[in-house]
Amino acid sequence: MLLVSYEFAVFFAVLMLCYFLAPDAWKRYILLFFSLIFYLYGGAVFLLYPVTTAVTTFFLGKKIGKMTEESKNYVMSRQMDREQKKDFNWAVKQKQRRFLICGLVLNFGILAVLKYVKFIFPNVASVFALLGMEGKMEYAAWVLPLGISYYTFQSMGYLIDVYNRKYEPEHKFSVFFLFLLFFPQLTAGPISRFDTFKNQITSLRRPAGKQVVFGMERMLWGYFKKLVIADRLGTAVSVITGSPETYRGIWFLVGMVICTVWLFADFSGAMDIVIGAAEVFSIRLPENFDSPFSSKSLAELWRRWHMTLMQWFKEYIFFPVSASGFCKNLSAGVKERFGKKAASRVPVYVATLVVWFVTGIWHGASWNFIIWGMANGIVLLISQELSGICKAFGRKYSFTESVWYQGFQKVRTFFLFAFLQMFLYYPAGTVFSLAADVFAAPEVRSLFNGGLADVGLAGMDLLILMFGVCFMWVAGRMAGNGGIREKLWKKPLAVQYGTVFLLFLLVLVTGVYGHGYYASQFIYNQF
Amino acid sequence: MKKKIIFQLSVLAAISLAVLAGLQRLLVPKYMGLVVEGSLIEEYYEETTPHDVLILGNCEAYENISPVVLWKEYGITSYIRGSANQLIAQSYYLLEDTLRYETPKAVIFSISAIQQFEQENESYNRMTLDGMRWSMSKWNAIMETRMEDEHMIEYVFPLLRFHSRFSALEADDFTYYWRKNKVSHNGYYMRADIRAAKEFPPARRRADYSFDPRAMEYLEKMRLLCEEKGIRLILMKAPSLYPVWYDQWEEQVVSYADSHGLLYVNCYADREKIGIDYSHDTYDKGLHMNVYGAEKISLYWGEILKELPGIEDHRGEPEISVAWEEKIWYYDTMKEEQETEFAEKGYLSQFYQEEE
Repeated sequence: MLLVSYEFAVFFAVLMLCYFLAPDAWKRYILLFFSLIFYLYGGAVFLLYPVTTAVTTFFLGKKIGKMTEESKNYVMSRQMDREQKKDFNWAVKQKQRRFLICGLVLNFGILAVLKYVKFIFPNVASVFALLGMEGKMEYAAWVLPLGISYYTFQSMGYLIDVYNRKYEPEHKFSVFFLFLLFFPQLTAGPISRFDTFKNQITSLRRPAGKQVVFGMERMLWGYFKKLVIADRLGTAVSVITGSPETYRGIWFLVGMVICTVWLFADFSGAMDIVIGAAEVFSIRLPENFDSPFSSKSLAELWRRWHMTLMQWFKEYIFFPVSASGFCKNLSAGVKERFGKKAASRVPVYVATLVVWFVTGIWHGASWNFIIWGMANGIVLLISQELSGICKAFGRKYSFTESVWYQGFQKVRTFFLFAFLQMFLYYPAGTVFSLAADVFAAPEVRSLFNGGLADVGLAGMDLLILMFGVCFMWVAGRMAGNGGIREKLWKKPLAVQYGTVFLLFLLVLVTGVYGHGYYASQFIYNQF
Repeated sequence: MKKKIIFQLSVLAAISLAVLAGLQRLLVPKYMGLVVEGSLIEEYYEETTPHDVLILGNCEAYENISPVVLWKEYGITSYIRGSANQLIAQSYYLLEDTLRYETPKAVIFSISAIQQFEQENESYNRMTLDGMRWSMSKWNAIMETRMEDEHMIEYVFPLLRFHSRFSALEADDFTYYWRKNKVSHNGYYMRADIRAAKEFPPARRRADYSFDPRAMEYLEKMRLLCEEKGIRLILMKAPSLYPVWYDQWEEQVVSYADSHGLLYVNCYADREKIGIDYSHDTYDKGLHMNVYGAEKISLYWGEILKELPGIEDHRGEPEISVAWEEKIWYYDTMKEEQETEFAEKGYLSQFYQEEE
């Protein structure tokens, strides 16, 4: 079920009605029931996958938790010195690790098989072919179950947290299953943490009017971004990126901007709908965006873009990898040859490249995504190396404090991010060739000789996009401290209502939906 | 305080609904210019007098028989409920819909629609279905004939379908905002321009000439409904030269009509008796009749219909005659205007784009 469909509107309305009428004790079960309906809408057979993940993770978590509990009781019941306790805990951890690895291998294995078999097998076949061992490799092309990347990451985060004793394992399966299957976040994230989610769903109450209004307003804002901006840009994105031989020169620059705005409007629009929908039921999901295009560096941008995924990678990949035995040994080797300073960088370098490799492959099973991820990682490492020089430059020249310079930094960051995005659409060689053409043969006139109209960016569409993007930018700037919704809440009812109704009309009339348009799913639904 | 908020919300909701209704009215197509077919179905509801004959079908129905001629020459009251590419299921539900208002003595169904059960273009569906008043018949017609990417909710709230017209609004959308002009003559679509018939590509052989069982099922439903209501069902094939009407199709229709004792009139087979002159009586090279061809066909039908029991000459009834006087005036005026324009320009400006 697409979040931008009539079916979803009906589904959501019925859910709201049931939720508000039901006693508080039933609310969690109602959310679970409707989440199951939402999932089953795509096909009953797909439910097998999240059920497998939920059951295995739930029981492994319980087992690990029980071992922790028993070990604590054992230590308390015995007189042990510090060394004995350390040895005992280490032995328990070793046993627990087996269960953890079991869960990780099984669930990441399912994800890997379903998502990456189509990528891995042809590549393996190519390697064999290079070695002169040609043969046909048979493999099944699986259909990806809805939200598999999200619920797998959430469940594995939970299992690792239980293993690391950050919180107790969950004993109610319905709570854990809802954590994985909660319908809004199932489609495009955000990736929630179990402890914060549990605290909310175990004490569900009838939401206050303000919460419901805020949730609906946020959903509406998400629909504005998706239907008015993103889907209007969708045609231009596919036309421009689909014909690099035609759309060269200045078009590469236009494509960079359009693709980036499109991606942001689509993904952040999805997040607004998802977070708004949860808010209606008084559940606060973590934010995934924090004005990313206000960033002055790529590192800062990535801290503000898809925040929950980045946080997940940082916590469950970056830190463990940088603290791993491999990194320690490598660091020691580097220290012997190149000194202490170089050695201190080894864990960061290795962990960063691993994280960005995984980021790339998480986004898509193709070389384009891997190259995009690695390119981001390399640029971030170079930026880090150059940060000393930049700071010295800043100290020497006072203009770096000016608004203009900071504006320049933001624009630079935007274009750097946008440029790296191009690796998702073209092979690496083509990206550089197209980039060179921007300066060598820009052919700016091609934009105005009907060129923009050819890619669906003319007349009223262009006007709406210009207005929509400005509106989105201004609203983004005002988002801090409760944002526009809080300010609006303090206004008279007629002003509140009128503003929301106007936004509703804008979406209703200028949105790209309905007959003649094929409702596109959100880009991040594919994961 | 609570009462005040409820009152304010009620007022705001009422204003919102008014704005949405107004917006919807503005954005739905008016079908007053080049394409008028979308207005045909809804005009039926403005009728004030009953009809003895109901004519159902696609363009072969609404462009080939002139109810005004049937009245003028025979005093027969008739109405055509037809629209572009109107499917047989839609004709059936239009029959059901019409029976909510009146029970005609005879129903003439243009059989050419039986060759196709599924719609090929959404805009045809909209032209037929949007014009129907809401009833179970309309609901069922939509459910049965909507295309894969059509949604019921877009029929309930046409604004959802036509919202994107905001960037393509025309003067007609404002001119006919409150009230639309009448475009048909009891469902008849008049064209007084002339384009002589030409040669059409030879008929292509088909692997299977049998009609879609679902289409046959609706023909049967139509027959049974007519039987139940005591209405005489008549099948008609118009004298259009194209698309091809295969002999195999003709045989099936004849067989069906014979087996159920239905009258079947193939105007193409009877074209010489009717006196159709394909160099003069068609406005689009033989696909559809112009007003001259339609008048000839109407006279032919008049002779058949006047013999049928229950179909009477109503010219002596003052109330009905008054209503028809107005229709005759409108018909004659439009015909004269079109003839004059065609004589001057060689084309009708309203349909000029189509001509090109």
